[in-house]
Amino acid sequence: MAFALVRAGIWLRGRAENVAAALLATMFIAFIIQIVFRYVLNWPLGWTHEVCILAWLWGVLWGAAFIVTEADEIRFDVIYGAVSENTRRVFSLITGAALVGIYGISLPAVTDYVRFMRVERSAYLKIPFDWLFSIYVVFAVATLIRYLWLMGRAVRGEAPAALDHARIRDL
Amino acid sequence: MNLASPFSITLWVITILALLGLPIGHAMIAGSILYLLMAGLDMATAAEQLLNGLYTSYVLLAVPLFLFAAELMNIGTMSDRLLRFCNALVGRFRGGLGHVNIVQSVIFAGISGSAIADVAGTGRVIIDMMTRNGKYTPSYAAAITAASAVIGPIIPPSIPMVLYALVSDASIGYRFLGGIIPGLLMGLAQMVINAIMARRRGFPVEEPIPAREWPGITVQALPALMMPVILLGGIRVGITTPTEAAAIAAAYAYVISLVLYRSITLRQTYDAVLASARSTASIGLLIAGALAFNYVVTVENIPQTVRGILSGYALSPTVFLIAVNVVLLVLGCLLEGSTILLVIVPIFVPTAQALGIDLVHFGVVVVFNIMIGLVTPPYGLLLFIVAKMSKAPLGAIIRDTFPFVVAMIVALALITFIPELVLWLPRVSGYKG
Repeated sequence: MAFALVRAGIWLRGRAENVAAALLATMFIAFIIQIVFRYVLNWPLGWTHEVCILAWLWGVLWGAAFIVTEADEIRFDVIYGAVSENTRRVFSLITGAALVGIYGISLPAVTDYVRFMRVERSAYLKIPFDWLFSIYVVFAVATLIRYLWLMGRAVRGEAPAALDHARIRDL
Repeated sequence: MNLASPFSITLWVITILALLGLPIGHAMIAGSILYLLMAGLDMATAAEQLLNGLYTSYVLLAVPLFLFAAELMNIGTMSDRLLRFCNALVGRFRGGLGHVNIVQSVIFAGISGSAIADVAGTGRVIIDMMTRNGKYTPSYAAAITAASAVIGPIIPPSIPMVLYALVSDASIGYRFLGGIIPGLLMGLAQMVINAIMARRRGFPVEEPIPAREWPGITVQALPALMMPVILLGGIRVGITTPTEAAAIAAAYAYVISLVLYRSITLRQTYDAVLASARSTASIGLLIAGALAFNYVVTVENIPQTVRGILSGYALSPTVFLIAVNVVLLVLGCLLEGSTILLVIVPIFVPTAQALGIDLVHFGVVVVFNIMIGLVTPPYGLLLFIVAKMSKAPLGAIIRDTFPFVVAMIVALALITFIPELVLWLPRVSGYKG
């Protein structure tokens, strides 16, 4: 049972990665189309701009929700990286509880806002904004589940791993 | 400031959550929501600000595209060819491989916008080259690799400059141009240090490459060498926007690797896309948090308040710049660079403007400063990475990095007090500042 769950988890993660990669590839290709049409064919397009922006917005929030691992997160770890595993478990419980509480309380208001945005549509592709912005709700719910899970692990006694700096990539 | 006001409670909560290890982006989003709750405002405003901010900041698309271009460069053999070219160029001087390391970083800086990508790309190869047969100590190889990678985001393209453009709200083309001379200056300062160290510690020279091999090596490296020319040329003459230049860079790197060098497989392409998507998301979350928190800062009129407090001290621009440099150098030891850029720097920008400091100049000074922070302990991201690559103890690397940090701070002082070093190139390209 546990084994099947882990396998399902790995499979899902792979698909989430496919989506994230597809979003970035879409952005890149739309950009190239835009440049070719604008500079080579002298025929500026509008929709490519919108596809790029959409892929960026979804790419960031989808990625933050599903494919960024604990080791990839940008965090302040001068203290976090130096304390014992047990202390890190306590830290993880405190931050998890705060995040779950705050994201949880605001979820109904956020959902209302996203639903309300259906009155507007994007300029070129006429996509309703409630669709465009629904990724935030996905992000918030996924984050809630992720942090509940991290708290569960901390309660069971598994400390979050210390960070692997060489995997963090940013500037 | 009232310590129980919603704003100070928010600051405390964000600081504490971040200190306890919550990702900084999440800490800022959560803090902003908490502020809205306490101030009796609509809690959805944080999401609204963040969504609209991401949706309208077209310039930010340069971030994933520059990351992607760098990934592609590193997968293909472009970086290796570049390294061979640099070896032919400066390998025969004393401390040759150290110079090779620096020159390679300067050229790579004109291609990639990320210091981490620079180290990830060629760091391991050059550290291996330097430590083979005990020519250089692993800690020195690691130190010079980390120090020279810092040049990457100062010479355009540059992801930190894109983030600065976001918070200071101005054209990034001129900002890019402003970084070129300071970046070269930093390279020069490091080569001086390397030359001194080489003499003092007796580092070897490399076997000179025979002149008849030069043309071949140059031709091999030419496609990689052309990339900065294409990028900067396009931005310099105003044909392309920096965001478009980023896309062109990625397309160029891909075509060259695929067609000319035949060194990239479909699988590697997917991995490069995925790696860029992952880095994009982790920076993106931070940007999202900054966008949400920015709203709080605006509602509270913080920049005006800070300006008010500072104007009470009758600061001169010079004193202000020194103060900013000191504050950022200290923060750079503790915080990660994009956090400083997105959270701390916006507080300084209005004051800089009010004091008549040019924002292109200010931006380059700020980015230069934050990049030095990548190699200053205890939180120097590059130090951790090169420590892992070279397997040298962190303490020894920090010791060997020290002279380079001193040289970089001297260079920082120069560009701070001689604004022409930054502004000359943008001005001859039409910048009216």
